[in-house]
Amino acid sequence: MTAANVKLVKTLVLAFLAIWLVFTGFPLFFMIVTSLKPVEEINRMVPTFWPETMRPQNYAGIFADPGSLKSLVDSLIVSSANTVLSLFLGTLAGYALARWVRGVVGENLAFFILSNRMFPPVAILIPMFFLFDATPWGTDSYVSLIVLYLVFNMPLATWLMMVFFRDAPRELEEAAYLDGYSPFRAFFKVTLPLVFPGMISVAMLCWIFAWNEYLFANLLTGTTVKTFPVHIPTFTLGSQTLWNLVMAFSLVAMLPPVILFIVLRRYMVRGLSLGVVKG
Amino acid sequence: MSVDQLPLPAAALDDAGRAAAGPYPDWFSKRRRGRSLIVNPLVPAVMVGLPVLVIIAIVIYPTVWMFYHAFHDTNMMSLFTRNWQAVGWDNFALVLSSDRFADSVLHLLRYLLFGACLQVLLGTALAQILYEVVQSNALRIVLLIVMVLPMMLPPSIVGVLWKFLLQADNGAFNHLLIKLGMLAPTDRIEWLDADLALWSLIIADVWQWTALPLLIVYSGRVSLPPAIYEAARVDGASRWLVLRRITLPMLKEIIAIAFIIRFMDAYKFVDKVYVMTAGGPAQRSELPVFIAFQKGIREFQVGEAAAYAIIIFVVAAILITLFLQYLKRVLKAQGIA
Repeated sequence: MTAANVKLVKTLVLAFLAIWLVFTGFPLFFMIVTSLKPVEEINRMVPTFWPETMRPQNYAGIFADPGSLKSLVDSLIVSSANTVLSLFLGTLAGYALARWVRGVVGENLAFFILSNRMFPPVAILIPMFFLFDATPWGTDSYVSLIVLYLVFNMPLATWLMMVFFRDAPRELEEAAYLDGYSPFRAFFKVTLPLVFPGMISVAMLCWIFAWNEYLFANLLTGTTVKTFPVHIPTFTLGSQTLWNLVMAFSLVAMLPPVILFIVLRRYMVRGLSLGVVKG
Repeated sequence: MSVDQLPLPAAALDDAGRAAAGPYPDWFSKRRRGRSLIVNPLVPAVMVGLPVLVIIAIVIYPTVWMFYHAFHDTNMMSLFTRNWQAVGWDNFALVLSSDRFADSVLHLLRYLLFGACLQVLLGTALAQILYEVVQSNALRIVLLIVMVLPMMLPPSIVGVLWKFLLQADNGAFNHLLIKLGMLAPTDRIEWLDADLALWSLIIADVWQWTALPLLIVYSGRVSLPPAIYEAARVDGASRWLVLRRITLPMLKEIIAIAFIIRFMDAYKFVDKVYVMTAGGPAQRSELPVFIAFQKGIREFQVGEAAAYAIIIFVVAAILITLFLQYLKRVLKAQGIA
């Protein structure tokens, strides 16, 4: 390549990066701008790209509706309980699959469990509705969402924990046995610290998925339990959507996953890639 | 650290040099030979059995239920009177012969081609650029975080956001194009009308999910051994050659896994269709999964919805089998599985 060509390629690459940053950044920027505008300014024929009248009170305004805070609490309860449950079941099964259930049976069992993460949930939704309807707590409850999200999160947790346990050397555990450790002590003192970073990534992925899920929450719950993605579309006045409140609340609800990602991003990628990338 | 390096207290070994029996509960293990612990087979069976039981309850049972009703004329009425009739393959014939289904399959193909494939291509390119072109480490991390932000929003909210941005008259996107001089001030692109609705969905999806392959490929690139690149540099290989002969072949599997994950998620989740276009206008942005939801939940044509679901399920089963075989090969090569 000649020097001129190299320069051309470099310019093109930088232009591509710049265009992408505008494409990614603009909607986020406009979300923030919209969240600071009064409604009248949003409804103009020509949108303003910077608020003429600043209204940071919108952020207080979203919590004037008591449902807003409750929806965040509901989301927190559902996603946290589901994460704990997924992680508990996933760690148990992942450990057994990594240490004891090997060979053809173990391999197929592991892939069978993982395959549940990939199947379209549409096939189970209607029967789930009747299944939960027949239980004492009904469809519109914490339990139904916590259990339902296991469909996605538990297979992922099991699979990833299995990969992490396989990576943790078995010899260390056996050495602990020789030292007279009980299996529980060996597990908690030796193996668990080794897979702890992996557990963090699993917990984070499960938590963010459950935090952001909308379709099932919308179809199964909505009165007693109302997670925030279901609550956001209710910011309306008559037939008019209060876009400033919608955007403000979306930004507030986006904070927990974003903070989690910024703090723990090193652990996240391994989970995202089903354990293939050693992040 | 290997076993031999660990200090082994003399008390742990009996006269024969073998480990003395540890404090194991009877139900956990019965006997030990040398170093290996013979675990009661019931223990792993219970540990793996719990999640399998959960899967049977919340996945297998509902799937069987759907299979059953796919062959019955179940609807709202017959469901509550528990009086449904077997209709053989009628539901499947109804679905497969309908234009609505055929159209939705074409939509899905376009959505996966331009959605999932484009996301992986863009993500891979961006990961390369980020790693090779951006020199400052801090700037790299900031850019990475900015690019990943859309992924942290609920897909439904992304749908709402883009619906807002893409309004024809006073939508911010059209006015941004006007400001940038790419659109005449009097022109408006009707992003959400019948011709463009599916493309708008794809744009919103690309906006949100390109970060997933980007993150995976970027981390894969970071973990490649620098020695190879050093050798290539010493040999005077051009950047293009290095990219084509070293980086891409070594990242092949990781890119493929990113593609698989994105592809299956795009195949099964329809939150955006739901809130952004509701399949419209005139059913021009419907995906099969969306129709199944619509038939089952809104119209309560459970039999027909079940037929849709089963067709989607069978296609998914074939794809997942292929994908998992590939994943198995990759993990075997890495020594994980």
